[in-house]
Amino acid sequence: MKEIVVIIGGGIAGLEAASQLLKLGYTPIIVEKSGQLGGHVAQWNRLFPDMTPAKDLVSDLIASSKDANIFLNAEISFINRLKDNYNVMLSNGISIISRYILFTTGFRLFEAQKKEEYGYGIYNQVITNADLEHWFNTGKDDRINGKEIKSIGFVHCVGSRDEKARNSQCSKVCCITAIKQAIEMKEKFPDAEIYCFYMDLRLFGKKFEDFYIKAQRDHGIHFIRGRVSEVSENIDGNVIVKAEDTLLGKPIKVTLNLLVLMSGMVCNPDSTRSASMLSLPIDSDGFLKSSDNVMHITSSPRNGIYYAGACTGPKTVPETLAEARSAVLEIHSRIIGQQK
Amino acid sequence: MREIYLSGYNNFVLPFMLGMIFVLSWCIIGAIRVILQLPKEDRKRFFMSLVNPKIMLKNIRDWFCDCLFHVKLWKRNKLLGYMHSSIAFGWFMIIVIGHIEVFLYTPERVHQIWYPIFFRYFVAVTESTMKGSFFFFLMDFFLLVILSGITLAIIKRVRSRLFGMRRTTRASITDLIGLYALWSIFPLRLLAEGFTADISGGSFLTKSLNGVLHSFLSDHMNMLPTWWAYSIALGIFMCILPFSRYMHIPAEILLIPMRNAGIKVRHARKGFAKLQVYSCPSCGVCIDACPMGAVKANIKDTTVYLNRQIKRYNEKRIEEISDKCLLCGKCTALCPVGVEGDRMRIAQRSIRKYNLSPDYSNIDENMLLERCNKFVSSTNNDVSSTQNQKVLYFAGCMTALTPVISKSTQSVLQKAGIKFEMMDKDGGICCGRPMLMAGRKEQAEEMVAKNTAIIKASGADTLLLSCPICYKIFKEKYHLEGIEVIHHTEFFDRLINEGRLSIKGSDTRFVYHDPCELGRGCGVYEEPRRVIGRAGVLVEADKNGKESICCGGSLGSLTLSFERRKALTENALNNLTVASPDVIATACPLCRSTFNRYSDRPVKDIAEIIDEATRRKNR
Repeated sequence: MKEIVVIIGGGIAGLEAASQLLKLGYTPIIVEKSGQLGGHVAQWNRLFPDMTPAKDLVSDLIASSKDANIFLNAEISFINRLKDNYNVMLSNGISIISRYILFTTGFRLFEAQKKEEYGYGIYNQVITNADLEHWFNTGKDDRINGKEIKSIGFVHCVGSRDEKARNSQCSKVCCITAIKQAIEMKEKFPDAEIYCFYMDLRLFGKKFEDFYIKAQRDHGIHFIRGRVSEVSENIDGNVIVKAEDTLLGKPIKVTLNLLVLMSGMVCNPDSTRSASMLSLPIDSDGFLKSSDNVMHITSSPRNGIYYAGACTGPKTVPETLAEARSAVLEIHSRIIGQQK
Repeated sequence: MREIYLSGYNNFVLPFMLGMIFVLSWCIIGAIRVILQLPKEDRKRFFMSLVNPKIMLKNIRDWFCDCLFHVKLWKRNKLLGYMHSSIAFGWFMIIVIGHIEVFLYTPERVHQIWYPIFFRYFVAVTESTMKGSFFFFLMDFFLLVILSGITLAIIKRVRSRLFGMRRTTRASITDLIGLYALWSIFPLRLLAEGFTADISGGSFLTKSLNGVLHSFLSDHMNMLPTWWAYSIALGIFMCILPFSRYMHIPAEILLIPMRNAGIKVRHARKGFAKLQVYSCPSCGVCIDACPMGAVKANIKDTTVYLNRQIKRYNEKRIEEISDKCLLCGKCTALCPVGVEGDRMRIAQRSIRKYNLSPDYSNIDENMLLERCNKFVSSTNNDVSSTQNQKVLYFAGCMTALTPVISKSTQSVLQKAGIKFEMMDKDGGICCGRPMLMAGRKEQAEEMVAKNTAIIKASGADTLLLSCPICYKIFKEKYHLEGIEVIHHTEFFDRLINEGRLSIKGSDTRFVYHDPCELGRGCGVYEEPRRVIGRAGVLVEADKNGKESICCGGSLGSLTLSFERRKALTENALNNLTVASPDVIATACPLCRSTFNRYSDRPVKDIAEIIDEATRRKNR
């Protein structure tokens, strides 16, 4: 009998894992709570650093995992542990017995309205990084359309590295996403002045630094080191941003037509809920806790439970894909080991 | 009554006399020192109050109600109240009746101050006893009352929860000596008087004791040692009194008239502050009151321990305790003697020496002034109702961080057709309250002066605030003659009463959280509840009003870290949600954002609720 692997979450990690498992001859079952596959990446427009269309990546992944069993609009009702199996009960009434569960539950975007001082949901001209990608994809957003855009601001670290927002972790991708989006906006609105308000720029990935240099040199994007203190609205509906330029040591004030908040990655409450059914440990940042953060990032402390992608912390797309493959390899070697 | 001993003296009165002289001189010198340490104008005010019949009447009432009957404790818990008032009032009555007896029967002994205390030892009953049996009965009755109080006190040491107290103060060594001396005084007195019951007369208690323990009590060899023991217990109690919590007994007698004279804490250690420290009875009511008590480690940072450390001059701990406090004022509100824990702490902070001081003199208020003098050109001077009011709305820093409050407030004002201007639309100067809380009075005053200039120049007649932190200082420290300072909850209440806002109710269940600065700070409890009651169903928290629990986000604390406030916020939220409300309503931007961080249900400011409720109507 072909070994069944339950994959919780049909984002890029889940799809990549399913396609690799299929290649190895196993039977992956993807459980996805929403009505479509691809997770957050499917909502994105283009990916740094090569501006690859996100759509292409997602459709490739879906194509290569099409032979997997996929349950859309299905949530985990409960999971219980049998002798060496797990019984996974889905909300659509289907029950799956499997020895292996792979968590690819991912993250959730920080709710920007929680940072009240930035006025998301209060001021019309304040949007998030996700809203902007949605606009890139669909071209539909009343806040951007029909408005003359002369100045745009990007606020880094919204709900990341912020104790008061209860998220002390760095979301890793926002620095480079902000630079990517700033360049894209500059291309769309060549006359606009663009400001990035940052704490630190953490440009660790391949070609990230080049991207940053390009943004400054070729696109004239202003990088201001300092957190935004408050945002208010003027009569025209534009937003006034007050911040401190910590390099100049001076408070600054700028009026913007559009303010983009770089919402960070926070733990997904659904993954915490499923994890609690198996009494899996949760780390202090709220994400799932791997059995070891260096050697065994994809392993959980329980037999047969594996992790891949952003369910254990913020990750980039290539990191997530690599983890999915690595988790599959671990499952594979375990199955081989048990058969001997 | 007939005297037995010609001299009217026995050596056993010595311990009592020693203690008495010591404690009297200590208290008199202490009182003189406290009065001398007061600033000149305060001292004058204090002496003037003593000849003011109205204040004097209040003093007398307070002395009886607070010192003897402990009315505040009765309100808190009947058993706790009875325990304290039985001992205090009973003892007071025994002293009074003792003196009456001496006056009546042996008037020539009045000048011997030990005589009323040991009266029974020195006299014997005669045929005229019947005349005194009334007093005999009273003496025994009050002794019984005290003994019942002492019994309760002993039970309280073991089971304080019976007395409505979850936690009590850990007694210091001098407190314990005083406590045991106090406990032993009255049983010893009963025993001593038991000996003389058949000679000097007695009533139901002493007479019966004399009958029951006849073999022991009729042996007069045992008599003198018992009287000695009684006198020694009194002596020890009085000698230890200045160094123990029982110092509150004499200190409170002076504290009450000073408080009624309107004297405030001006110096961290001297004068009125010193008196407050010595008036602290270490009862520990503040321990249960303190919102920091949600974390056990914070118990040692409550007001009772601040007072103890000030007495011990332990500067390190004084600094820790006074910097940690949230300044919510709940200990002050509940303190049975009126020790002002929050003001005391601000006073401690104010004597701190800083190497660097911020300088605000370079802030250019002229620029802000120009932007704000909107009403000057207006000629309408009729301000009899909100109809013609010229409202200046100062949102403040905290509201700037929660823009939804300022936006909703402005929207409500527009709907009501109020003529208003924003004072700090494009930036403003801090109200000064955070600096004041940090004990940095001079910096606060700089800001007060600048803001006063702006407000006065604006030509407004009403200053509207949506932040209770600002509201408190604008009310207390600003001199804005002719300009009404009003909080938005009060203003909305007025607008609704005048029919300028039409609100459609809903069946949403709201619980109202009293912000510290608005409730205990400014005494505004009713208006917000009335306003919320119009917009939905108002339910109450477990502890509310004066006993409301600080949200934990207070600016008052200088050292409490963000993480360590979490438990306090969660505790306050548990208190708020007992009646399972749908929405937590508050009237402070800081409470709102603090609760929002951990709450499982929406947290809204009154302005948002009213804005939504008026929108409902329009739709």
